[in-house]
Amino acid sequence: MQSTTSRFGGSAFRNLNLRRYWLDNVRRSWLQTIWLLILLLVTIWFAIGQLQEHFASTIIIFVVWAASVIWTAVSDVRRSHRPMTLWLKTNLYGSLSNVVLSLLLALILAFIIIGFFDWAVVRASFSTNPTVSKIQLERKSVDGKEGAAWGAVIDNFRNLMVFRWPTDQDWRLFAILLWNVILLIPSLYVFRKEVFRRSRIRRVLTTLWILTPFVVFFLLRGFKSDGLFGFLAGPIPYLNPDIAWGGLLLTLIIAVFAIVASFPLGLLLALGRRSKITGIPAWLTYGALGLIALYFFVTRSIPALAEAQTTGAQLIALWPLLLLLIAYLFQRYYQGNVVALASTVYIEVIRGVPLITVLFMSIILFPILLPPGTEILSTWRVMVAAALFAAAYLAENVRGGLQSLNKGQYEAADAVGLNTYKKYRLIVLPQALRAVIPAIVGQFISLFKDTTLVAIVGLIELLGVANLISAQPDWLGVRRAPYVFIAVIYFVGSALMAWYSRRLERRMGVGER
Amino acid sequence: MAESKLTPNPSGGQESVPPWRDIRIIGIFAQIAFVVLVIMGAMWLLGNVTDNLGRLGGFRCPDGTSSFSCGYNFLKVDSQFDISESVIDYDPSDTYGRALLVGLMNTIKVGVLGIIFATILGVLAGIARLSDNWLVSKATGWYIDLMRNTPLLLQLFFIYFGVILLFPPIRDAIQLGDLPVYLSQRGINMPGPVFLPSFATWLAFVVAGIILAFVIWILLGRREERVGKASNRAFWVVFGFFTVSIIGWFVASNSNKLDQSFMIAKSERILAFTDLADNMERRLGAANLNEIDLMVEEGELTSEEVDEAAYTLCVISESASEVNFTAELRRLNIPYTVNRSTRPDQATAKYAAGECEIYVADTVILTGERPLLEDPFAQAIVPTLERPVRISIPEIEGLNFVGGIKISPNFAALLIGLVLFTGAYIAEIVRAGIQSVSKGQSEAARALGLSESQRLRLVVLPQAMRVIIPPLTSQYLNLVKNSSLAIAVGYPDLFAVAFTTLNQSGQAIQVFLMVMAAYLTLSLSISALLNWYNKRIALVER
Repeated sequence: MQSTTSRFGGSAFRNLNLRRYWLDNVRRSWLQTIWLLILLLVTIWFAIGQLQEHFASTIIIFVVWAASVIWTAVSDVRRSHRPMTLWLKTNLYGSLSNVVLSLLLALILAFIIIGFFDWAVVRASFSTNPTVSKIQLERKSVDGKEGAAWGAVIDNFRNLMVFRWPTDQDWRLFAILLWNVILLIPSLYVFRKEVFRRSRIRRVLTTLWILTPFVVFFLLRGFKSDGLFGFLAGPIPYLNPDIAWGGLLLTLIIAVFAIVASFPLGLLLALGRRSKITGIPAWLTYGALGLIALYFFVTRSIPALAEAQTTGAQLIALWPLLLLLIAYLFQRYYQGNVVALASTVYIEVIRGVPLITVLFMSIILFPILLPPGTEILSTWRVMVAAALFAAAYLAENVRGGLQSLNKGQYEAADAVGLNTYKKYRLIVLPQALRAVIPAIVGQFISLFKDTTLVAIVGLIELLGVANLISAQPDWLGVRRAPYVFIAVIYFVGSALMAWYSRRLERRMGVGER
Repeated sequence: MAESKLTPNPSGGQESVPPWRDIRIIGIFAQIAFVVLVIMGAMWLLGNVTDNLGRLGGFRCPDGTSSFSCGYNFLKVDSQFDISESVIDYDPSDTYGRALLVGLMNTIKVGVLGIIFATILGVLAGIARLSDNWLVSKATGWYIDLMRNTPLLLQLFFIYFGVILLFPPIRDAIQLGDLPVYLSQRGINMPGPVFLPSFATWLAFVVAGIILAFVIWILLGRREERVGKASNRAFWVVFGFFTVSIIGWFVASNSNKLDQSFMIAKSERILAFTDLADNMERRLGAANLNEIDLMVEEGELTSEEVDEAAYTLCVISESASEVNFTAELRRLNIPYTVNRSTRPDQATAKYAAGECEIYVADTVILTGERPLLEDPFAQAIVPTLERPVRISIPEIEGLNFVGGIKISPNFAALLIGLVLFTGAYIAEIVRAGIQSVSKGQSEAARALGLSESQRLRLVVLPQAMRVIIPPLTSQYLNLVKNSSLAIAVGYPDLFAVAFTTLNQSGQAIQVFLMVMAAYLTLSLSISALLNWYNKRIALVER
């Protein structure tokens, strides 16, 4: 029981066992002592450095820290915490090392925040006139450190957004935006209400959503006058995607296309990898591969063996025998299931190589792999490559969902008499996909970020434009401001997707069933 | 069609399934159709490739025929391009094959260093994320969010173009605090170890120390079990290791006395290294070399006089002998100036011309060079003290740094970017792993009276590791694959070198096949290694 005197009187320090505190906070283990010492030294060193750089803010932080520590300590000794001091005690000043650590971190954070604020606001110039901007930056610079040239971003805002999209065709972009908004607003209501489950409105909306990619595509690309819809070329003329698409527009196009196109392919790959359909019988595998091996043995190995000088060359010449090994492994591990084998090989090869190799391959190898004379725009090549790449990762995520599903669900679907398509459409996929929403959204986020890689293969998306800005004669060498600007765009985009994924998870009740 | 009759009827009905609805027959036909489709597709692509390469000249042999293996003959052709940094020796007259090997080594280098540092950063950040200090956990959270929500390529560009290339030129290099670490446009220069020949001796002792540490650990462990009382195992292990290593250090320092030497004119009457100090004291008229600074301050000596008296050394630049000798001179506070040459013969020429009074090098080099001098018998070769490892400190000399480790801006940008990015992902994995261990485990450990470190080491970590390892593996794989972004910051990794090779030789398909095979091999080896480890620590289910 606490008496009033012990709270406010001279005997308040009865609660303070200094020896105990010393043991707990300093001498509990030698590791702790060393840690505390290092922490103290680093804090003092950093604080002295900061005192010379930013005197006022450091003093303010120090005073606030000291006052709150004393307040908390006194409250603790008197056992009379207010909510505030209790929070401080549990979250910031729990132990001696935490007291020091809090100060150090507050100083470091202040250093970073003040530094960024100085750069982004105090020393920055917002003038879009390069000459004015240069003069302002020089005038505001502190010992050679210049601020942000936001003028470069403002001046190039249109470039960052759409790059070379013709100004007189802007209405097409607004039309796309309008189309999506008009569809989205009723969808948010209709798809959520049980009343509309079988209504015609829902069916119409679904159809329109399925049509959306095509509408968007034709609005973005336009119509060629010699094509099937040549009559539309008047109002919506053809724009060469390699030239007209750029900036944030291209980033979004690639990301959305890759996400949409990779979904069905990924689904097929996942189902293929897990497929249990009857394989090619063993006799057929061994027979066919054996015959092929025999053919190559006779035509290639025997002449090569005759020519071979070294043992190594002789061994290499025996390569057709490997086909028999392949046949054995194929039967042993895949029971003759070619579909599963092909899906697995595709997934593992794509996942084993970097995206940049796939993108470069699409740029360099597509022309070699297609009939001579076929011309494909780089934009198409890159988009297809991104989708093919994303599909392999998506397949693995979906496979995880399929594996998490109870066997009973499959059996139940069979028992009800559903055919394979309906079994997957109505029973398996809805549950499997719901289980892996977080993983799939994470995959989409990384795909969205990975679109930056197309800047390396020569397409001018957001990052490509940022790099171009620094090459403009007006804004020569201006890099940081555009980079920070597009970092904010990516950050907001990714954070939004992550937020939506969490919402979706909650709505669909992942982990609750 | 007899086969279909054998099919058990799942519905238990009497009628048998007709063959066109028998799932087994459908399956086999589907498989065969799939194989045929794949083969047809492959043939079509192959036909196109031969059509296209017929014009480009792909797998063409010297004798006019074409074969798969002839496509790789270009690997033996001189590359004719330079690579800015490499682990192994390389110059433009080497072959494409060697250039690709250099690229692979560079990828492995950045991969290994990246994995080590990213793991350290990730573990620290993961623990900090769980810290009971609100500020620490929040700040780490912001770092993780920032890294995970922005593209790696953007981060690399920012670090390379927006930070490192904006550093001042070498003459105004930024010094980190008072440490000998310099940041400049040309990268980072920092102190690094230089290994002398006696390092081998010391290394043997260190290995022996490690073995001894293991033996102590095991023996004390057995004793603990027998006696049933804990002993301070960690202390004895560390003690044993350091004792052996320190003994080894002294043995190595004193065993190779004849390895490092310097050459000086016999007229100087210097017979041992310590005579250098006495001689300098006589030159300066000082009682003690440690007082030189004081004497200069008090005006008894001018700094010009000290510079005049300083020993002039002829050395071969970047040689261990130089670092060893100057370190010893600095220790004894003997003033000196260094005259560097790239090759021994140049140093000898300078020494013969009298540009310096002391020639510092290996004993082998000195004994080889002495007969070339005009009057060999007037020169004395004096052995020098040698330490197994010396720390070389970077110094600005003219427009360049001398000594220490140089890290190129490209490599620095790539490594820092990869470590910061991957570290954020690893932090989340570590956090999830630690959180996956239920609170009851910690409470049980405390109830048993285990110390905090024992609780972490014996109870929490082994359980957390099971959750951590599988996703960690995929992060390591990502790091290695992401290192291919090196091409954006100009670091010559496998992909960058392969791309140059491809552009110069035009052998697109072969180069891509080799690059893909290399990355697949790297990925498979990393995952094999970690899967093996994972299997070792995995829960044994009953």
